[in-house]
Amino acid sequence: MQRLAESIKVAAVFAPGCQIKPVWFEWRRQKHAITEMSYFWKDCCGDATRLHFAVSDGNNLFELMFNASDQNWTLEGVEER
Amino acid sequence: MDWPRIILHIDMNAFFASVEQQSNPELRGKPIAVIGAAKRTVITTCSYEARAFGVKTGMNSWEARQKCPHLIFVVGNNRKYTYTSTQIINIMREYTPLVQVFSIDEAFLDVTGCLSLFGSAERICHLIKGRIKEQMGLTCSIGIAPNKLLAKLASDMQKPDGLTIIAPQDVAKVLERVPIGDLCGIGKKMQQHLSRFGIKTCGDLGRFPVDILKRNFGVTGEQLHYMGQGIDNSPVIPDEEAEEVKSVGHSTTLEKDITERREILMYLLQLSEMVGRRARKYKVAGKTVTLTVRYQDFTTFSKQESRESFINNSEEIYQAAVKILDSIELTQAIRLLGVKISNLRSHTEQLPLFPAERKKALLANAMDDVNNKFGDFSVTFGSLLGRDSGSKVISPAWRPEGLRNVDVD
Repeated sequence: MQRLAESIKVAAVFAPGCQIKPVWFEWRRQKHAITEMSYFWKDCCGDATRLHFAVSDGNNLFELMFNASDQNWTLEGVEER
Repeated sequence: MDWPRIILHIDMNAFFASVEQQSNPELRGKPIAVIGAAKRTVITTCSYEARAFGVKTGMNSWEARQKCPHLIFVVGNNRKYTYTSTQIINIMREYTPLVQVFSIDEAFLDVTGCLSLFGSAERICHLIKGRIKEQMGLTCSIGIAPNKLLAKLASDMQKPDGLTIIAPQDVAKVLERVPIGDLCGIGKKMQQHLSRFGIKTCGDLGRFPVDILKRNFGVTGEQLHYMGQGIDNSPVIPDEEAEEVKSVGHSTTLEKDITERREILMYLLQLSEMVGRRARKYKVAGKTVTLTVRYQDFTTFSKQESRESFINNSEEIYQAAVKILDSIELTQAIRLLGVKISNLRSHTEQLPLFPAERKKALLANAMDDVNNKFGDFSVTFGSLLGRDSGSKVISPAWRPEGLRNVDVD
């Protein structure tokens, strides 16, 4: 996976039970609708909890990260197929 | 026959590789190998598809590629694995409080007292398997037996996604033809020793005169005798009841073999900071500092020195490690370095009386505060700036909580 760490705009559904589901994101002026979330994990960087999502737009695999402390979304990496 | 205890051993199948195959659906059904990010990396684990070609854990990438030319290498993500492991352990704890984490992908469960809640051990296994499959898409192999030794043996018998039961009445029959090397705790060297006595299977071991075993192997001889008969009375010890951790240490295999003192010192400082940070986080201090060195030919040795006072300040640990280094005559380039503090006691911060010491303690506290907020090595010693610091490997001693919960990159 190519590592990117770019700040991006994301639309997500915050469902009951602390479940966050990213729906689409914009990257390089293109909107990508998320068709599948294949994995989820959390980690911490200092006192910030970070939520990681492995998602697909039907073409490529992306890793999105939501920093619960500063409320920012980052595109961590992309695997182009 | 009654079951005196009902023990489960749960072993995640090709754990890291399976997590990667779940994360990236394109990798499913393909031969993949998980490797580290470091230059001198070996295969941490590989998928069952890769194993079919003869790829094994510990192989270097060149060897693996020879076995399987279309092998896909994936750089591992340790935080993904520690999170997943913690989630899986939490699932297990919903069925019994007696969960002993054996490693990041293995655990023992004592379910003897939980049957009235869940029906049977098999049902508990199916429930746990179902939850793990549903939440993470992963499979595991489970062994059910009257003790830990046999439960571990049983979980190894059917992979992947197996469920094997060794009932008390079947123990002798099952063990008769099992090679001794399949028992947890009998390594290659012990196998060689035992084969000199004509012992090849657990049946042979169980029948062999215990006196001869004791004469040759001491206390271990008696233990071997019981192992051959499938007897193991060791309890399942949950982490909160486990013995206190005796040391805090970190080691690292260097990117290349080094001889220059300046470089050695830099690694020692980095390791001392990692040890100090973890010791201070869990409020322990150690009286003994140990330095471990591995040469390029894999010769490994440790030297330790006990101090008058207990320490957990990174700089003091570093100074002690350097002192030990200066007492050694290095004869080869170094491949691995390790720093450890032991002889631990709990340590509550008491600011020193003398200004210089006080300043040092306040500085360490200030650095810890910043690193607690922004992450390890956000602020560090000037000579470590720009270096890729932090733990890169999940130690076999990793645990989901407590002093052994080493944060890995």
